[in-house]
Amino acid sequence: MMDHGLLLLWQDYNLTARTLEHLAIFSVALLLSIAIGFAVGVLIFRKKKYSGIFFAILNTVETFPDIALLVILIPFLGVGAVPTVTACVLYSILPIARNTCTGLSGVSETHIRAARSIGLTDREVLLHIRIPLALPMLAGGVRIAVVFIMGIVTLGGLVGAGGLGVPLMTGIFNNIPALILVSGTWVGLLAVLFDGIVASIEKSLNQRYGIW
Amino acid sequence: MARLFENIDSIELNGISKLYSEHYAVENLDLRIEGGELLVLIGASGSGKTTTLRMINRLVEPDRGTVIINGTDTREFDVVALRRSIGYVIQEVGLFPHMNVGENIGLLPGLEGWESGKVKKRVSELLELVDLPPETYASRSTKELSGGQQQRVGLARAIATDPPLLLMDEPFGALDPILRRQLQDEFAEIKRLLGRTIVFVTHDIDEAFKLGDRVGVMHDARLVQVGRPEELILDPASDVVASMVDADRKFRHLEALSVRDLMLPLLSKYLFPGATEVAQAFAEMMDWDVGVAIVTENDQVAGTVRRRDAYRRRLEGLTMAAIAREPLIFEPGDPVTTALTELKRAGASFALVTERDQPVGLLLSDEVLMRLV
Repeated sequence: MMDHGLLLLWQDYNLTARTLEHLAIFSVALLLSIAIGFAVGVLIFRKKKYSGIFFAILNTVETFPDIALLVILIPFLGVGAVPTVTACVLYSILPIARNTCTGLSGVSETHIRAARSIGLTDREVLLHIRIPLALPMLAGGVRIAVVFIMGIVTLGGLVGAGGLGVPLMTGIFNNIPALILVSGTWVGLLAVLFDGIVASIEKSLNQRYGIW
Repeated sequence: MARLFENIDSIELNGISKLYSEHYAVENLDLRIEGGELLVLIGASGSGKTTTLRMINRLVEPDRGTVIINGTDTREFDVVALRRSIGYVIQEVGLFPHMNVGENIGLLPGLEGWESGKVKKRVSELLELVDLPPETYASRSTKELSGGQQQRVGLARAIATDPPLLLMDEPFGALDPILRRQLQDEFAEIKRLLGRTIVFVTHDIDEAFKLGDRVGVMHDARLVQVGRPEELILDPASDVVASMVDADRKFRHLEALSVRDLMLPLLSKYLFPGATEVAQAFAEMMDWDVGVAIVTENDQVAGTVRRRDAYRRRLEGLTMAAIAREPLIFEPGDPVTTALTELKRAGASFALVTERDQPVGLLLSDEVLMRLV
């Protein structure tokens, strides 16, 4: 009876479609965050002089409550997936960029000296030595971002982005405890799952590249 | 990137100085290094030898003076091109932990645009040269290497593109004495095969005399004397040189010493049962940094096998007993002079020391000692 009810609920509120929608936004946001966060991290590493300013800005963005950040973006970007993805990226740049920069700086002086003394250019040192050795740290940053993004995408349901936030809102506004329970648990499980996936990637990177 | 020079005719250091906050690391140093020679710079730590070495490949830029290679001031060279024309080996080795042994050695050839088949072939060649079987070691992680093995790979990496000049900064300094001597012997042979110009920094006078065609003594930021080993011994320019080459003053009283005083104690890792397969024993010798295996049968010494010989014969399917050779054997109470004379006559690099038929130590020959006998 319970199973039957769960199935009906799942179908009535299009939870399969919502899940796919949710994961689509999540994936786009995550990939953009990694690309931009990594690029910013490398930039900060290369322009040490400005790292203070960069981190001050990123830290300020980070202190905004996520729901506030999301609604602030609406006047500029409208409603839907765009402000949601933007908020995800703004939030995730800091952990990814910070970890990338820490990882790049943390490569031991011995290895850098060895690389330079056999004639690697700065670019080759970065590409062949620093970046590979920073990958475990980068993965650590991505792991934090995964948790952030899963939360913000869910909030995106509030601003018309779709995804699993929608049935959650429906459940809250129409007082349907079963729906709240099902979609809430489901989002939580997804977050745990993706965190686990990235954690295992981080672990294998650590075995191959780990210097920490 | 084009090689700046294919051969070294000469390297001239003209009045080079390096100041670090008010005091000289190197002061007004003049030195001419001839193409094809191995020049050793020796001195205590802080004497300026490493700084001098680093000024050759511009890891350190001199504050005064010039470094001229084959007639050209090194400041006119592109610094990356200069370093790619010069091999460099350091004590900490600095193998890249995210690359396996083969990738470490093949990095520079790869960046130089060699095709992968050629890189692979070169890596195998180099691993053979430094006595690491390519079939086992090319794909091994650098984290699984012992100190001696790392240094071998470091050397292979430095000479991967066959640079005409090699700079070595205390490459064997972190190794235990037996292994250090083993690697020195092997390196002397590799050096002969390469026929390259080498500048070598050390603080070990035995190493300097063993490897150097000429030796430059540094003290307190200055080069105090350069010459062939015997010139330094017979005609030291100052007390500093005299005391350094004479650091083995104890050998003046050689007659009073017995084998016991100079032998190295035997550790169980040197002992191998006669039935051990050569390939297996060789692998263990590599893992434990053992240069000489003492082969035992029924608690008796059946002979010894140098690692180099085990390496050469690892594919023949023999046991250690089959390839073991009778070593020179001394007793701890034998006078050192007799032992050294016999070693010298036999052309052996080591002898076994036994007491009541049980092995207790190894006596390694030493060029300085040999010369004094």
